[in-house]
Parts: sequence; C-alpha cells; structure tokens
Amino acid sequence: MNLTRRLQEYTQRNMTLEDALPTRMPVYVNSVAYLFGVATLSALVMLILTGMILAIFGPNWYHVSGTGRFFNSLHFWSAQAFFGCLVLHMLTKLLLGAWRDGRWKTWMIGVLTLGVAIFAGFTGYLSATSFSSMWHAVQAKDAMNAIGVGAFFNTTNFGQVITLHVAFFPFLVVVLVAIHLAYIRHESPVRPYPLEKEEKS
Amino acid sequence: MSMKSDENLRGVPMKPYDLIREGLIILGFIAVVIIVLAIAWPPPDYPTVRGVEVATRQPVAFVKTAADILAGNASLQDYGPPYNADTANSQKLLGIAPITWFGVRQPLDPSTDFVLTPLQRVAVFNKDVGAAVAAWKAASDDSRAAWTKAYIAALDKATVANGNVQVAAGDYGPVPAMMQGMLDLGKAGLLEGALESNDRQPYALDTSRAMLFFQEDVDESVANTLDMTGGQWGITHEVGNHPGPWWLWPYAIWYQIPGLNTNPNADLIAILIMLAFFLILFFLPFIPGLNRIPLWIGFYKLVWRDWYKRPSGKGKKK
Repeated sequence: MNLTRRLQEYTQRNMTLEDALPTRMPVYVNSVAYLFGVATLSALVMLILTGMILAIFGPNWYHVSGTGRFFNSLHFWSAQAFFGCLVLHMLTKLLLGAWRDGRWKTWMIGVLTLGVAIFAGFTGYLSATSFSSMWHAVQAKDAMNAIGVGAFFNTTNFGQVITLHVAFFPFLVVVLVAIHLAYIRHESPVRPYPLEKEEKS
Repeated sequence: MSMKSDENLRGVPMKPYDLIREGLIILGFIAVVIIVLAIAWPPPDYPTVRGVEVATRQPVAFVKTAADILAGNASLQDYGPPYNADTANSQKLLGIAPITWFGVRQPLDPSTDFVLTPLQRVAVFNKDVGAAVAAWKAASDDSRAAWTKAYIAALDKATVANGNVQVAAGDYGPVPAMMQGMLDLGKAGLLEGALESNDRQPYALDTSRAMLFFQEDVDESVANTLDMTGGQWGITHEVGNHPGPWWLWPYAIWYQIPGLNTNPNADLIAILIMLAFFLILFFLPFIPGLNRIPLWIGFYKLVWRDWYKRPSGKGKKK
C-alpha cells in the first residue's frame, strides 16, 4: 500500500484546486453576512503577525518601549477585532442554518475553535504582566480549580501561562481553522432554505 | 470541483469570484481599522502590585497581610486541592467536587511558605529575626494563636513612624520582630524573590507564590478602585474604559445574580452552566427545536432576498 498515493487520491477526490481557490461562487452568496468569516481570518492573521513581533522581543518589551507599546496595542485590538468578527460570523452562520445538508462537522469545528480561542485570549490577558493579568490570574484560579482543571493549568504560573499563550493555543487555533476552512471549501456554501419548506412549517 | 461540492451545487447558477482579491481587500480593511484603533487607544498598562510598593506606601496593610497568613487566617490555609488536602471548603455540587479529583498538585502551606521560609532567609543577615523565628518555632500552638490574635487586633490602631508599623504595647511574643523582618524584606524589594520555591533559579518561571501573597485584601482593594471585582463584571473589562475580554460576559453574568454571587460554590456552578451552553452550541445541528432557530427568526430571508426574488429560483433543492 502506497500511503502517499492514497493521500494524493484522497486529496484529489475531496479538494480540487477550484475548491481550494475558487473562481466561481453560487449566486446566492451575495451579502455582507458572508464577509465575517474572512474578516475573522484577517484579524487572526493580524493577531499572529503582531504576536510574532511581541514574541521576538519578549513579554516586558511593551512596558519599556514606545514601539513595544504600539505593537502590544496592535495585538490588543487584533484580539478585539478577532472576537468581534468571530461572534458576527457565528451569529450569521447560526441564523442561516449553515450546518444543514451534512455540514455539521464544519459547525462543530467552528464552535470548538471558539472554545480554544477563548483560552488563547484568556492566557493572553494573563500574560500581559500588568495588574489586570495579576488580578485575573488570582481570581480565575478559583474557577479553574473548582472544575479540577487547576490541577494542570495554574493561572498564577507565568511560565506555564505564556507558553500556552504563545505556542499551544495559537497552534490549536490555526490547526482547527485550517480544518474548518478545508471543510468549508470542500462542501461549498450551504443552499438557501427552500421557501416552500419554510412556509409549510 | 470535488464530488462533494459538485453534488452540493448541482443546478445552482454560479457567478465569477476572486477569493484572493476579496481576502486581500478585507485583510487591508481590518488591518487599517486595527492600526487606527491601536494608535488612538493604546490599552492601559497598570503596574502590578509589588511588595516594595505595598511595604513603603501601605506598611500596615503589608504587615496585616503577613500577620494574617502567619496566623493561618489566609483563605489559602484551608483552600484544599491543589494546594493542600483540606477538602472541607472545596466547591461541590450535588456532592461532586471536581477540585478533589487530582489531589494536591501544587503543595502550599501559607504560614510556612509565605512567612517563615522568607524570614529564615532574612535571618541569615538579621540575627533579631532569626531569634524571633526560633522563639516562634519553640512556642506552643496556643501561644502562637494568642500572640497573632492580639497583634492583628492591635494593627487596627497601628501608627506608622519612619515607615515602620507601631502598635500599642502588648504580649505579642516574637510576632512584631517577625513582622518587622517581613516589612524590611518588602521595603528592600526582596519579597517576591524570597517567596520563590523554584530550585532552578535563576529560571524562576513559576510566579505562583509571589502572585498569591497579596491576593486577598491588598489586591481586592486595588481591583475595587479600578471596578474590577467579580461583582463589577471583573475579568470582562480592562482598567479604565478599554474593552476587556467582553466575550466572557455570558460567564461573568452569573456572578452578578444575587444569591449565586455569594454562593460558596459559585465558580463551579458558573463554569458548569457555561459548559452546558457550550455543549448546546456544539450539538445545535442535532437538537430538535433549537436547530430551527433560523426559521423562527427569518434572518435568512434578508440575506438571501435576491435569491428568493429570482423568477426561477425558489431555492428548492433539486
């Protein structure tokens, strides 16, 4: 059995170049509501780029450098934009019933991404090395401990928090987003609700 | 197209589209918005609560914190897992206490780790502190309790002279000398270093003890002045008027509900409610009734209005 050939065949069957890089789109994809997903992805790109710059110079950089403070500000507003667009994206997909016709996996991976992104953002707030991060750490430990997670995730341990924020959660988010996008392109945008069906109900 | 997308789009009219162009335009727009916001409203950088600041500006609060910990009054003293084995105060619901499932993973004895161990380090260069610690260790539990109780009560009327805490004369045993040792440690800026338990110094990446030392009254009072306590929607907003993680509002709201906000198991209840919401959202496609929310609201008619207006396109799936 040639595993590489099987992967080739699987990919050709499930993800053509036209799927991955479409030059045509169904005519019903014709609303601002379809832009929030790309906007979320754009904010994620900004988050990763600004996060990489902050990672190069270290967590204390923004306390002592004007340039550092600017990049920290970019990262902060990228996070705000990311969650703002993500909420709008999820809300519109929910209201369009985007999980129909077998697209439940795309929906579930999206919800899972939201869950992981919340922890990515949370560990970011804990990594700010400010009073906010200090206060949030000592407050949040009680909730983490209450559900048993505190045994493995110590919000007051900066070494653990910052590695989770810089490496673990972003990696998970990017992997989940990649799978989410692959499913979206593989399945194509969901059809509009049939009016007849809607009228009967 | 792939078999799947061919099947899904069979019979649907298509229009020209440029994914890369659309993506770059939106990325450009989002980047400009973020850059403008970043220039106009950089987020606050409120300094941390440091031992040296508290010791010099609020010496009575510093000493009160240390004395409470020494007396065993700190909430961490009988917190339970992951710090210690006392599960009497552990949060539980219907008899189930997840906090106890994994045992003591971060051993912590506040009176020893937060006061006695740092003082033993001070004792190396301050013999008075060394003698006080020796007297404390040699004393009975009853004596220790009487000294700390009397000293903490006296702190209510304490005065500050030359940066040092003065209390009325009384039988406090070695406690005043020990507290002076702690205060000096704080003033010297050495408190956080003395609290470190990491035996891999200088790679002291676990900041837990330094973070937990002031977690009660001192941190609480700072948070209160910044409107950041749990009853003030705590974690969901930043210092000042900047947005915090507002996406945690659905979680923080449970701490605003009278009755629940004072419930000793509030954290566990709030987290379990959020877990239930998450599972509902996750399995929404399969939950009868809830998966018809789009049909009840009808937002889709607005989004797909052009499609429904097409003469041949009633949207019926072929």
